[in-house]
Amino acid sequence: MRVTTRAVALLGASVMALGLSACGSDDGSGDSENALTVRGCNPENPLVTINTAETCGGDILDVTTAKLIDYDLETGEPVNDILESFETTDNINFTVKIKQGYMFSDGTEVKSKNFVDAWNYAAYQPNAQASSYFFGAAAIDGYADVQCVETDDAGACTKDPAAETMSGLAVVDDYTFTIKTSQEVSNLLVRLGYTAFAPLPDVFFEDPEAFGDKPVGAGPYYVDSWDKTKQIVVKKNPEYSGDFPGNVDQITFKIYNDDTAAYKDVVSGKLDVINQVPTTELPNYKSDLDGRNNERDMGGIQTVAFDPQGADAAAALAKPEVRQAISMAIDRQTIVDTIFFGTRQPATGWVSPVVDGYKAGACGEFCEYDPEGAKALLEEAGGFDGALGLYVNGDADHKPWADATCNSIRQTLEIECTTEVTKDFDQLNLYKEQNKVSFFRAGWQMDYPSIENFLAPLYGTGADSNEYSYSNPEFDAKLSEAAAATDPEQANALYQEAELMLAADMPVIPTWYPSVQIGWSDRVENVDIDPFGVPDYAGITLK
Amino acid sequence: MTDFSHHEPGASGAAAESGVPLGSLSTGPVEPDGGAAAPARSPGAEAWRELRRKPMFWISATVIFVFLLMAVWPSLFTDIGPRDAVLADRWAKPSAEHWFGRDLQGYDLYTRCIYGARASILVGLLTATLTALVGGFLGLIAGYMGGITDTLLSRLAEVFFAIPLLLGAIIFLFSFSQPNDGFFKTVMSIVLILVILGWPSVFRLMRSSVLQVKPNDYVQAARALGGSPLRIAFRHILPNAIGPVIVVSTINLGVYIASEAALSFLGIGLQDPTVSWGQMIDEGSEQIRNAPHTLLFPAGFLSAAVLGFIMLGDTIRDAFDPKSR
Repeated sequence: MRVTTRAVALLGASVMALGLSACGSDDGSGDSENALTVRGCNPENPLVTINTAETCGGDILDVTTAKLIDYDLETGEPVNDILESFETTDNINFTVKIKQGYMFSDGTEVKSKNFVDAWNYAAYQPNAQASSYFFGAAAIDGYADVQCVETDDAGACTKDPAAETMSGLAVVDDYTFTIKTSQEVSNLLVRLGYTAFAPLPDVFFEDPEAFGDKPVGAGPYYVDSWDKTKQIVVKKNPEYSGDFPGNVDQITFKIYNDDTAAYKDVVSGKLDVINQVPTTELPNYKSDLDGRNNERDMGGIQTVAFDPQGADAAAALAKPEVRQAISMAIDRQTIVDTIFFGTRQPATGWVSPVVDGYKAGACGEFCEYDPEGAKALLEEAGGFDGALGLYVNGDADHKPWADATCNSIRQTLEIECTTEVTKDFDQLNLYKEQNKVSFFRAGWQMDYPSIENFLAPLYGTGADSNEYSYSNPEFDAKLSEAAAATDPEQANALYQEAELMLAADMPVIPTWYPSVQIGWSDRVENVDIDPFGVPDYAGITLK
Repeated sequence: MTDFSHHEPGASGAAAESGVPLGSLSTGPVEPDGGAAAPARSPGAEAWRELRRKPMFWISATVIFVFLLMAVWPSLFTDIGPRDAVLADRWAKPSAEHWFGRDLQGYDLYTRCIYGARASILVGLLTATLTALVGGFLGLIAGYMGGITDTLLSRLAEVFFAIPLLLGAIIFLFSFSQPNDGFFKTVMSIVLILVILGWPSVFRLMRSSVLQVKPNDYVQAARALGGSPLRIAFRHILPNAIGPVIVVSTINLGVYIASEAALSFLGIGLQDPTVSWGQMIDEGSEQIRNAPHTLLFPAGFLSAAVLGFIMLGDTIRDAFDPKSR
């Protein structure tokens, strides 16, 4: 689950502008000729593949780990990396063969037990790893047995799981292992490129705590040093044995708390790559960074979501028609054009256009701006008594669009709507967990390029990221049916049918599909963006 | 008459550090002491007579009056609502129809500037009044009672005086504010923290002013005639010691308006849908490259209001200080 936060600390930035907070120092790490400095942000957790669920740590792990598969830079199609072959006849029993001689950066070989042990460690609930959910979502047999029998209110185990390992994973020999799932999973292969499925070396299991500060992976780079809150330096992995080696010898992820500072540094050449352009510079970046910028639609979606069980919910919010009317009252095109300077695309459904299985228009008329229709629909549904508070996190640049969205709703439907800004993303999440709020922003960056990743983890009953109290048995059944389909085309068609059910229920309102804008300095070239919206750091070359 | 010992040697030093000339205040006594002099006036009446003759007073008073009118009755100045957004006209340039143009959300900037006055003026007025009341009252007690009361109150004031105003306010508001606090609660929490951190400056001023007035003959006379301490403090000392407090409070009013803007600028002061200049400046400053007018107009209003109060304070100070005449 990579819920996007966009680490733009607005408050922090302003405070810093007042000189109340010390700035990061530049220690001149760019001495080496063949080195890059790129914008990074502060990882939330230690750098362990199975415990990283946000993009700051994820960006580092992307270059320091190798997975079974990689995703094609252009199409997002899975390409073998450590994987030699992947076989199944029934979408339940899978045989995974890995390449021989693939090395970790500490000189040990990647063997099948490195996968199986890592996955078991991740799934075992008492270990409290952030990626545990993925093994359940992939329906690996025996996942339920490694979950706590009882937990206390804080989520800690009070009664240990029945088993320590998942019965669905078995090592056959050093280079072969098998996966058995508890139900059909048609897209297992495409999931395996996600960071959580990376192998972990033996040294991890000796001391998982210490490993997080100086992780070992099989990727094109290894973590050389991590100076907390300042920078993370990765160097070229001398043991790298895959097909996607890095070009430059060293990449420094310099941690910025302020988007605008990073932007200014890249314009003036102090920084080599920025992975996002601050909203206020969107009208200018193409001229500021002439010939040194790029843009790509990324696999994600922005939404405004409802939780009719939220404490501040108006009774009318429980009606799908009311939610549809609110959706129709949002002038997506104008907001995209003005607030985002055309760098977003109005959403027409719940699935990003970049993934396999996307079909335009799932949301239909409900995602088109229609003031008259919206008013009529609201009236039909019995009107709206109360007010809406649209909650957004204050540590990123959400207020402008939230204001515009609220204005659009307020002026069309005459429902009072105000933007409520929380201190940070954590506080917003806390409010959601405590069911305090009923109307809030949500964003989703895909974990792997599949239509399934935009539906099951978000809207399945009880799914990990279902923050909307949404439950529709028919929708769940359709997802299961799609997961069981052996033909990818047929699976996609079934997922699309499930997506159409969301239009009828409208648990969240799709607003726009994000795109990512990046920029780079005069020193570098060949800066590509992958389908996840992340710069392909390993592919960057110096002029 | 052990009370005489209360004339502390450090009193004149404390008066000097307050920065406002005080030495001459005692020359305007209310008590008849010579009999042959012109009709006796209180320092307040004397100052008012002086003020009326100053053009600067009338200019600043007019400015403040206009801002007060905006705060009380904004619709007098504009027909447009502060939340009437025309998003498609984002960043429209100033025109005959929309004098100040429009901002990022397509709000009419002129209207927003007008409506922004209420929050800013309210915070300024309330804070200045409350700091004057709290600081003035405690300063009077400390200066008049002296001894252990004075020591305790002075040390307490120093504790709060040591906390930088803006830093203290940021920490307080960041820790205690909730996203959906209403207008009243936010205004009150800003006022509260500014008063908590701001009263010591008024307190010190009042205390040193009282210490200067206390040894005067008319106070001694009142005491000799058997006046109760309460009566002496409020009837004889207060009227002669309040001048500097009025002056500083008026100047501070502008400072507090600016503080509120600073807090809103940092995103921890007033929140939508309340309009405030600080907030508008915050939004405008992000767009300085794209639409400078969205920053300039609210910043101009803020500057004019702050300037108005500081100018008023300045002229009042001159009026209270016979030396400058």
